[in-house]
Amino acid sequence: MPPLLNRLNDAAKRKLHSLQDYFILAWNALRFIFARPFYGGDLVQQMDAIGVQSLGIVLLTGFFTGMVLALQSAVQLQTFGASMYMGRLVSASMIRELGPVLAGLMVAGRVGSGIAAQLGSMKVTEQIDALNTLGTDPIKKLVTPRVLASLIMLPTLTIINDFVGIVGGNLIAQFYLDVPTSLYWRTVWEQIASDGFLFRFIPNDFVQGLTKPLVFGAVISITACFFGLNTSGGTEGVGVSTTRTVVTSSILILVLDYFLTQLLLSLLVAP
Amino acid sequence: MSDRDRGAPADPNASTDPDTSADPVDVAEGRERRADDIIRRRQEERVRTAIKDELSKDDTGDERPRPEDPGPLRGALIELERVDLAFDRPILEDVSFAAFPGETLVIVGESGTGKSTTLKLILRLLQPDNGRVYVKGKDIAPLSFTEALDVRQQMGMVFQSAALFDSMTVFENVAYPLREHTDLSDDEIEARVKEKLEFVDLAPDEVIEKLPAELSGGMKKRVGIARGMANNAEIMLYDEPTSGLDPLTTGTITRLIMKLQRELNVTSIVVSHDIRSAFRMATHIALLADRTIRFFGTPEEMAASDDRYIRDFLGGF
Ligand SMILES: Nc1ncnc2c1ncn2[C@@H]1O[C@H](COP(=O)(O)OP(=O)(O)OP(=O)(O)O)[C@@H](O)[C@H]1O
Ligand SMILES: [Mg+2]
Repeated sequence: MPPLLNRLNDAAKRKLHSLQDYFILAWNALRFIFARPFYGGDLVQQMDAIGVQSLGIVLLTGFFTGMVLALQSAVQLQTFGASMYMGRLVSASMIRELGPVLAGLMVAGRVGSGIAAQLGSMKVTEQIDALNTLGTDPIKKLVTPRVLASLIMLPTLTIINDFVGIVGGNLIAQFYLDVPTSLYWRTVWEQIASDGFLFRFIPNDFVQGLTKPLVFGAVISITACFFGLNTSGGTEGVGVSTTRTVVTSSILILVLDYFLTQLLLSLLVAP
Repeated sequence: MSDRDRGAPADPNASTDPDTSADPVDVAEGRERRADDIIRRRQEERVRTAIKDELSKDDTGDERPRPEDPGPLRGALIELERVDLAFDRPILEDVSFAAFPGETLVIVGESGTGKSTTLKLILRLLQPDNGRVYVKGKDIAPLSFTEALDVRQQMGMVFQSAALFDSMTVFENVAYPLREHTDLSDDEIEARVKEKLEFVDLAPDEVIEKLPAELSGGMKKRVGIARGMANNAEIMLYDEPTSGLDPLTTGTITRLIMKLQRELNVTSIVVSHDIRSAFRMATHIALLADRTIRFFGTPEEMAASDDRYIRDFLGGF
């Protein structure tokens, strides 16, 4: 029995240690955004890899999600004679929930795995050691540009995702429910306005819809860099890190989404 | 093959050893000795000469030699002092050696005995469990991360696997340390990169634009050497610089390391399996076996050793 307890104790300690390492990495990555030297070239390259190259899948998923959302709701709305509320329904769902979460999950799958694989293979081929040896801090050179690029690109992608989703809903509303486009977009705006404003100008829906991707962007990139930099065990280890990154960041996105929603609702609605 | 092709016509059982740091009596006895003893002898020797130097000069001498103190060896550029290191099992136990300015220390040993690990300890890519690593007389363990980066910049490292950045071209790889830490102009950087590539027998114009994935194994290795040397570091660490290279290139690299030592007084620590080139370039050889330094001495001392393991290790050579 004691040996078993010992083992459990050790395992718990290791877990806590790596959790601590995770937060140290996160802290350093964010701190170095304001530190010299700043690797601007790497930032631009990562913004391209993370943002621009994810545009295709984000457009595709957003558009079809908006359409299917509208299609599923069309029957119900028609039954209650509420077809003209289609715009409200689609925009509320896309902006608050589906846009951020879907963009997050797609980026976790596409970009998170890519970052983990790249940093992981750099680790197992001693390139990280080489960076250290050449006097470069790998966190400054590799992690910070990726985290910053994600912080910028994920909200951007989410906005695009929201927009094409709402456009997708528009198509369904027009062709299945004969809701005119002008009415559809008016109800979209009504929905956004009905939720109140932060500082009189920023719709609360937007606050919610953009805080989430910011957090998701940080979570995805830091998780990917963490697993990538802690890769061990050759090419097989790279595969393990990649899988762990996608699984962990997807779960974190879904769990954090709940808590963020709760937090933001209480903050935004209360006063 | 058994013919000794060293430059110096050293006879294996000669009792008049030309090397000053060796005690001729012991060499004549040719008995196996512990690395510790050798280091201690060398330490005493160095301290003696240091005292002499100190007395002959009459500057203020901020630091008196303290032979009893288990601090850094006076004058040593790199020193490991009773280092232990374990991963899931012990790898190094009680490892001590030192390299003085201008020396070429070759570390030999069987595969998996911890030679690469030793180099990583010197670079503080790993920290010892016990013992100390001194670079230029300073313990590197308590340094902050940024300070450690500064210390590493004084050293050039050639990795066993070359460790080229695979997202960068050959040019960018070799230029990397220059761009990071010097304010050389683009022209100067280009000239330096080409010079270093020529040093390792690569035609700059052919390889400069290539990505590491487009190079052969030996070419990668040589680019790795060029990058390690790029910022003219005074300490060079080579992890098997000649493995996987043809005999001609091996000769070139060996001569290159010797040339750096002779002309620029570069201190080198070379991990090598190639006993032949080790004997050519080494001022001292350390044999790593059973987790510790089994032998430390000059090539002549090693060749003269009666130790069964050393004889086996040297094989037919
Ligand atoms: N990161 C690590 N984690 C666990 N064990 C390691 C690690 N790095 C090295 N080892 C172990 O340490 C031992 C020494 O490794 P090292 O790479 O220093 O050997 P080496 O002497 O350079 O061998 P070779 O001549 O084959 O390159 C090996 O047994 C290896 O299994
Ligand atoms: Mg090795």
